[in-house]
Amino acid sequence: MVDRADGGRTAVEVDGLTKRYGTVEALRGVSFTVAAGEVFALLGPNGAGKTTTVEILEGFRRRDGGTVAVLGTDPAGRPRSLRQRLGIVLQECAVESNLTVREVLTRNAGFYPDPRPVDEVIELVGLGEKADSRVARLSGGQQRRLDVGLGIIGRPELIFLDEPTTGFDPSARRGAWELVRSLTAGGTTVILTTHYMDEAEALADRVAVVAAGRIVAEGPPSSLGGRDVGEAKIRFALPRDVAAEDLPVQVRRASVGFELSTTDEVEVLHALTSWSIAHDIPLVGLTVERLTLEDVYLRLTADKGAVRSTDAGTDTGPGEAAAGPGRRPRRAAGRQS
Amino acid sequence: MSVAEPRGASGLGESARQLPGELRLVVRQLRYEQLSFWRNRFGAIFTVGFSVVFLLLLAAGGGTQRSSVLGGIEEIQYYVPGFAAYGVMSACYNNLGIQIVVRRQTGLLKRLRLSPIATWVLFGAVLANAAVVSIVQVGLLLAIGRLGFHVVLPHAWLAFVLAVLVGIASFAALGVAVSTLVPSQESAGPIISLVFFVLLFLSGLWFPLTPGSGLAQVANYFPIHHLIVAFFAPFDTLRGASPWAWRDLGVVAIWGVVATVVALRRFEWEPRRN
Repeated sequence: MVDRADGGRTAVEVDGLTKRYGTVEALRGVSFTVAAGEVFALLGPNGAGKTTTVEILEGFRRRDGGTVAVLGTDPAGRPRSLRQRLGIVLQECAVESNLTVREVLTRNAGFYPDPRPVDEVIELVGLGEKADSRVARLSGGQQRRLDVGLGIIGRPELIFLDEPTTGFDPSARRGAWELVRSLTAGGTTVILTTHYMDEAEALADRVAVVAAGRIVAEGPPSSLGGRDVGEAKIRFALPRDVAAEDLPVQVRRASVGFELSTTDEVEVLHALTSWSIAHDIPLVGLTVERLTLEDVYLRLTADKGAVRSTDAGTDTGPGEAAAGPGRRPRRAAGRQS
Repeated sequence: MSVAEPRGASGLGESARQLPGELRLVVRQLRYEQLSFWRNRFGAIFTVGFSVVFLLLLAAGGGTQRSSVLGGIEEIQYYVPGFAAYGVMSACYNNLGIQIVVRRQTGLLKRLRLSPIATWVLFGAVLANAAVVSIVQVGLLLAIGRLGFHVVLPHAWLAFVLAVLVGIASFAALGVAVSTLVPSQESAGPIISLVFFVLLFLSGLWFPLTPGSGLAQVANYFPIHHLIVAFFAPFDTLRGASPWAWRDLGVVAIWGVVATVVALRRFEWEPRRN
């Protein structure tokens, strides 16, 4: 790991990463930094470049351009000393089906210089009763948990989770989230790809939204895309005999009642509620809504789902079109070299 | 095992220093390959059981008759080395080829590629596993032939061992090579086994080929017939023939070299999507 000037430590540093498959530009200058101990989520539609990015960091795929440092090492040469410090959980559960849980974990523990005790891992992923069952006899959820066990058996400093809860039922997802939290409590850095907003919101310290091979927004989930300071939507209905023109603020007619968008909801609410009390007219069903992470995500990734080989390098920079009203999203992507 | 720091040593020197440890890793990995293989009853029966059952069936169906094609020796004397060759080919070509496709398509190869295990340790164990299964079958068939049918064992053991080793190496290379030509898990069995059994039929496993016949000329281009001949030669010393079937071993080896080139050029770690 690399010491940074500000005293923190950097686990992953990616700058200007590019990758092309034939004529398709899968990555068009991806840059980001992950601090040690952080949970960093890559969010984006299928084909956006999440998996390609992660596979380059893992050393599985070669990049075409840009620089990458994972725990201070370039992963391109797949140095074993680096692989021994990484944990990887893939989407597919890929384990020899005729071996038992304990056998697979014991075998893989032998790949690492200082593995976690096998029994400890079995307990941690909740497979105590299945320890001596063959992998083929595990349920889908149990196989995923074994997968996670294989990911952490080597005491990794950095763990990659590729869509860790896809196909899980709600309670299994909670369980998986708890496990991730317990990992980070121990100081492990986590890079996670997902297309579940609630997952990113529940787990990640920071989120980067990837679309069409670029990072279009980056920041903590609570403020991504300016959602903490952007517009709020105020909705309410009025009694039938009251006209919208009597209100102290401009409103639009909505499907039910009225609505208005504002970046200064405190002032507007004050005006509305004072008026309501003074005239004894109720504001029926009054609500204030902020953009959800999903709203921001959909806005950022609209029409960018698929990677195109054209229109490279002609735009003004990622995030521009997507920022919408309010502040432009913080970003670190797209520095074109 | 501790992680070796670079310390300015060349990569080669570093791996040489770790060699004994690495070899131990191969043996350790081989144990799990063996567990995996023998526990998969279907695969084990298909590979090992078939060679034994075929031999017994052919022996029951007149294997003790004398063959005019083979100059009057008992047919069982031909079938034992023939099915020993089949055992090697089924373990190395058929079983290994299908196994690699399945492992690639289920993501198992990718996962191992991402783990710290060295590629050569991984492949060393996989190939050693195919070799062990081959040798078990050869031993089993020789034992059945000797104890059950009084087959005369090879007089030239070295020639026989050489044939077994060349067979293992070349057909394992063919197994890896053919795995790179198969696009999906579903088509692995049909493609790999169909080619195998058609060629086995053409190559004189079930009946000795008449020299110079059309079938023999077709079989001549493929390695299976030559491996059967190379296995048979060390047994066939009663008539004063040489136990060293150099020409046949040469053909098998050439196929092995070509297969190795194909395997190295085309090998993929990740599932192929259609």
